[in-house]
Amino acid sequence: MHDIHKSIPWPPSDDALVSVKGLSYSYPNHRKALTGIDLDISSGDRIALVGQNGSGKTTLIKLLCGLLSPTSGEILYKGKPLPDHHLDRSRPEIGLLFQDPDDQLFGHTVVEDVAFGLRNQGLSRENARHEALHALEQVGLEKLAYKEPHNLSYGQKKRAALAGVLAMQPDVLLLDEPTANLDPRQEEIFLDLLKGFHGTLICISHDLFFLYELCERAVVLDQGHIHHNYTMRDLVSQRRSLREHGLDFSFRLVVEPPAHLPDSPLPEDMQVQTPSIPDRAVNEKLVVMRNYQYCYPDGTFALQGVHLSIHAGERISIVGENGAGKTTLLSCLIGLRRGEGDYVFDGKPVTKSSRKDLWRHAGMVFQDCADQLFCASVREEIAFGLRRLGYSRAECRPRIHQALSMVRLEGFEDRVPLHLSGGERKRLALACVLAMEPRLLILDEPTAGLDPHGEEMFLEILGNLRTTILLVSHDMFLVKELTQRTLVIHDGRIVTDLPTHVFMKDESLSSLNGLAFSYRQRSSSAIRILQHEHEHSHLHEHLHTHRHRHGELEHEHPHEHAHEHTHRFVHRHTGDQQQHDHIPSRYHDHDHPEHGSESHDHSHPGIMPNGREPRD
Amino acid sequence: MHISDGVLPLSVTIGGYAAGAVLTAWSARRTRSQDLPKVAVVTAAFFVASLVHIPFGPTSAHLLLPGLAGALLGPVAFLAIGLGLLLQSLLFQFGGLTALGANSLMMGLPAMVCGWFFQTFKGRTSFRQAIVGGLSGAFGTILAAVILAVLLVTGGEDFFGVAKIALAAHVPVIIIEGIVSAFTIGFLFRVKPALLEPSFVKPVKSVHV
Amino acid sequence: MSELIPIQLPLWQMPLLVLLPLALPAVMIAGLRRMVNRRRIPEEERDWSIPPLTDGDGKSLLHRWDVRCKILTILVYSFIIASLRHPEPAAVAVAASLLVLMIARVPLVKVLLRLLALAGFLGMLLVVMPFTVAMHPGDTLLVFGGVNWLGLNLRGLTLAATIAAKAVAIALLMEPLLSTAPLPVTLHGLSRLGVPEMTAQMVLLSYRYLHVFRHEARRMSSGMQLRGFEKRTNLATLHALANFLGMLFVRSFERTERVFDAMRARGYQGQFPAPAELRMHFTDVLISIIWISAGIALIVYDRIVLQG
Repeated sequence: MHDIHKSIPWPPSDDALVSVKGLSYSYPNHRKALTGIDLDISSGDRIALVGQNGSGKTTLIKLLCGLLSPTSGEILYKGKPLPDHHLDRSRPEIGLLFQDPDDQLFGHTVVEDVAFGLRNQGLSRENARHEALHALEQVGLEKLAYKEPHNLSYGQKKRAALAGVLAMQPDVLLLDEPTANLDPRQEEIFLDLLKGFHGTLICISHDLFFLYELCERAVVLDQGHIHHNYTMRDLVSQRRSLREHGLDFSFRLVVEPPAHLPDSPLPEDMQVQTPSIPDRAVNEKLVVMRNYQYCYPDGTFALQGVHLSIHAGERISIVGENGAGKTTLLSCLIGLRRGEGDYVFDGKPVTKSSRKDLWRHAGMVFQDCADQLFCASVREEIAFGLRRLGYSRAECRPRIHQALSMVRLEGFEDRVPLHLSGGERKRLALACVLAMEPRLLILDEPTAGLDPHGEEMFLEILGNLRTTILLVSHDMFLVKELTQRTLVIHDGRIVTDLPTHVFMKDESLSSLNGLAFSYRQRSSSAIRILQHEHEHSHLHEHLHTHRHRHGELEHEHPHEHAHEHTHRFVHRHTGDQQQHDHIPSRYHDHDHPEHGSESHDHSHPGIMPNGREPRD
Repeated sequence: MHISDGVLPLSVTIGGYAAGAVLTAWSARRTRSQDLPKVAVVTAAFFVASLVHIPFGPTSAHLLLPGLAGALLGPVAFLAIGLGLLLQSLLFQFGGLTALGANSLMMGLPAMVCGWFFQTFKGRTSFRQAIVGGLSGAFGTILAAVILAVLLVTGGEDFFGVAKIALAAHVPVIIIEGIVSAFTIGFLFRVKPALLEPSFVKPVKSVHV
Repeated sequence: MSELIPIQLPLWQMPLLVLLPLALPAVMIAGLRRMVNRRRIPEEERDWSIPPLTDGDGKSLLHRWDVRCKILTILVYSFIIASLRHPEPAAVAVAASLLVLMIARVPLVKVLLRLLALAGFLGMLLVVMPFTVAMHPGDTLLVFGGVNWLGLNLRGLTLAATIAAKAVAIALLMEPLLSTAPLPVTLHGLSRLGVPEMTAQMVLLSYRYLHVFRHEARRMSSGMQLRGFEKRTNLATLHALANFLGMLFVRSFERTERVFDAMRARGYQGQFPAPAELRMHFTDVLISIIWISAGIALIVYDRIVLQG
C-alpha cells in the first residue's frame, strides 16, 4: 500500500457547506462500511467520488443526504448536525439521483413524479405543476410530461429522474453513476445538464473521462477510508495510485494513439492488443442473414432488410443509438424472437423449430448480469446450462472447473452468485456461457457498471478467447479493442459495414449516428498529456527514512538529501516536446537501491554528545 | 381461480367485503403507516410471480402463492393480497368487483395461517425451512381451494357440482405449489435468509426517518 | 325425479346441440385473443405535453361525470346487477352496459381484453353447470342416446348463462368507469368516499412497479431460455422456476428499499400530496339518481314481475 496524501490535499475550508467529522458507518450486520471519514465540502465544489466496487461510495452518499445515520461521528450541514429536525428542512436542499431511474420514478405520470418533491416542499398543486413543467423543459422532456414513466426510454427516464431532483432546486446534488447505460448522445446531453448546474455536486462514477470533464476535485475511497482528497488532475495523472485503487483506466487511453508518440516505448500493459484471427477456415460462414426483417405486433418495424454475414472466428461489433434495433437483432440471432427472411446458422437454415435449439450453439452475456444468474451457488449456476446440454453430473465437474479458471474465479464453486461483487458476477455470467462452448458469443455492453480494474480483467479474458464474438456496445474503446469489423445500425437497418479501424477514422460517420464522443476524445487527450510517462533522470530531493551509517554509527531516521537517478516519471509537456514542465511538489515514488550504503554527511542535532545514539 | 361477478349471493359478497375490510385494516395496523409504500411495491412483485404459468401435463397452472406470501410478509400479507386482487380486478378483470371481498378472504386467510405456520415451525436448518415452506405452500393452496368451494356452495345446491370440480382442479396446483414453495424457500435461505425473518417489511433499526 | 321432463334425443345430435354450441364460443374467443394480440394498432404519437383527459371538456357524459358519483353509482349498480336471478333482466343489463359503452366511447380493444379475461371462469361454469346442477321438479333434461347419467339440465344452462350475462354486464362497465378519468383522479375519488388515501397511492405504486417487475421477469426468463430452459412437467422445471421466483423476490425486495429511499430523499414523510380537486354539481347527482333508478327498475322486474 502506498502512502496516503502524498499530493497536495484539498485545502480545508472554513466555510464548509457540508462538513463530515470522524464519520463511521456499519451495516446492520455489523460489517464496517465506512471508517473515520473527514471531509469538508464548500459551496460550489464539484467532487468526483471514486473507488472500487464496494468501497463505500453509495453508503457515503446516502449518509450525506440523511437516508442513513452515522454509527459514529457527525455530518454538519450549514453548520448544524444533519439528523433530527434539521434533516426535514435540509433534505429538499440535498438532491439525490439514483443509479436506476426506475427506483426514482414512482409517480403515475412524469409530471406528477417531478411534482412529488415540490408538493412535499409545501407548494400548491398548481404551482408545483408549473415548476415541474419548467424542470421538464430544462431536461427537454416537456413534450412527454403526461406520459407514464414505463413508456419512456432509458435515457428519457434518467432525465426525468434528474428533473425531479432539479425541480426542488437543491443546493447540493448527489449523483450515483449518472451515465451508466446511456448511449453517447444521451450521455452528452446529461453532461451538459450537469455542467449547467451551479450548486455543489458530488458524483459517483467509474467513468473517469466523464468525471474529468465534470469535476475539479476528487475523493478516492478504498475499503471505507478516504485515501485521497485532491484535484481531479492529480487523480488522473497518477497511474500508480490509480492502479492500487483498481481505478487505472489508462488502458483506455490508447484509443487513438497521439501523433507524437512518447519518446520511450509504452509500458507493456499499455500496448494495443490486436486480436488475431484464428487460422482455421476464415471463409466459413457462421451466420448469414438475408433480407431479414422483424415487425412488432403493433406494426412498427424493428429490423428491415438486414443483410448480415459473420465468418467463423470473426469479431464484429454492432453500434447504434438506443432504440436503433440492436437488441432486436440480437434476440433474433439467438432465437428468442423470430423475424421474417433467411437466417442460416452454421450452414443450416433456422426454421421455426430449430430456432428453439439455437441456444446450444450461441451464448449471450447480458448487460445486467442479474438477469441471467438465478441459482443459489456458482456450481449450480454453471451446471444449469451444461445439464440442459445433456452432460451428466460427473461430466459437468471438470467443465465447471475449466470455465471458472477461464474467468479467474477458481475455487468459487460453493459461493452464492448474489453475494459476489459486480465484477465477479459479470465474469461468472461469462463463465456460464463459455462452459457451454458456444460457436457464437454475443456480448451486450459487457463492461457496463464495472470499475476500471474489473473492466481491464474482463477485457483480458475476452482477448484470450477464440470463439466468434459479436459485441454490442456504446463504448468505442471496446469496439476498437475487441473487434475487427463494425456495423452501424440505424432505424432497423444496417447502414455501415466497415473494418473497425476505418470506422474509427471516419469521424463524420460516427457522429452522424449519434455516436459522437467528442468530449471523451477531448478529455482523453488531456489526460494523456497529464499522464505522459517515460524514463529520465534528474536530481531529486528526498525526505525519507532508512538505515544508514556515519562511520561507526548506524541508525535510522528521516532525513533529506538530493541525488540523481533515472526513474519513470509522469509529467506533462507544454508545447515543445523537449521542454519538461514538472507539476510542482509532485511526489516521486520510487526505490533507492544501494542508497543505504552511501555516505551520509549530515548533522544530527538529536545525537548525544558522546557521539552515540541510544539504540532501540 | 378468482370468482367473477354474479356468482355469489348478495349477502355473501357484502359479508365478504365487510370481513375483508376488517382484516385489511388489522393488517395495515400491523405495519407502520410510513412503510405502506413498501407493501405496495412488494405486492407488484407477487403479482408478477402469480402470472408465471407452470406446465402440468397437457395444461398449465398459475401459482396462487398464498403460502409464500404468508411466509415472506407475515401479517402484512393480507393487505398485500387485498391490494393485489383490487389491482387485478380493476385492471385485468380477474375476479369480479363485487366478489372482491370474498376473493380476498379466499387468498388472504390461507396466507395468514401459512405465515403463522411457517414462522412457528421453520426451525434453523435449510432443509427444515424448505420442508416447512413446502408444507405451508401446499396447505395454503388446499385452504384456498376449500374456502373457494365453501363460498361457491353458499350459492345453493346447484353449485355443489362446480365446487367439487373446483376442488379437484386444485389438486395439481397443490402439488406444484408445495414443491415450488419448498424450492423457493430453500433458495432464499441460502441466498437471502433475511427475507424469511418475521415481518421484515418493518424498517431495520439503523434506518432513521 | 318423477316430475323431471326428460327429452330423449338420438346420440348423433349430441355434437350438434352440445359440442357445437360449446366449440363455437371457444373458437371465437381464441380468434379474438389472437386478433387482440396481433392488431394492437400503434398508438398515434399523441401530444404528451397536455394531460390525456382534461376535466371539463371531456369527450363524453361519463368523462364529465364527477368521479365520486361515478364510483358510487357503478358500485351500487354492480351489486344490484350481481343479485339478479333471471336471465331476462340479466340480458337487459348487458344491453344497458353496451349502451353505456357506446356513450362513453372507450377503446374497444381494452373492453375485449377484459371479456377475454372472464372467458376462462365463465366457460368453466357454462360447461360444468348444465351437467351438475341439482335436479328440481320441472327441470328439462336433454338425454342423448339413452345415456341417462349424463343428462344436460337446461335449467343449469340457463343459470350459468345468467351468471355469465351478469358478469359480462358488470365487466363492460369497468372500462367506462376507469378510462373516463385519469387513474389517479379516480382513485382520489375513492379516497374522498372514505377509503384511506394511502390505498389509492398504494394501487398507483403497485401499478407502476408491476411494469418494472414484468420487464425484469421477462429478461430473466430469456436468460433462462438461452441456457436451454424449457418448461416441462418435471422436477427440474419446478426447481428452476422456484429459483426464478426466489430471484424475483430478492430483486424486488431490494428495489423496494431503494424506492422507499428515493421517496424519503424527496421529502416523503408518510403522506402523499392530494392529486386533484373535485367539484360536484347537481347534474352529477342527477345522473347517479337516474342510473341507480334504472338498476332498481331491473331488480323490481327480476324479483316482482318475474317471480310473481
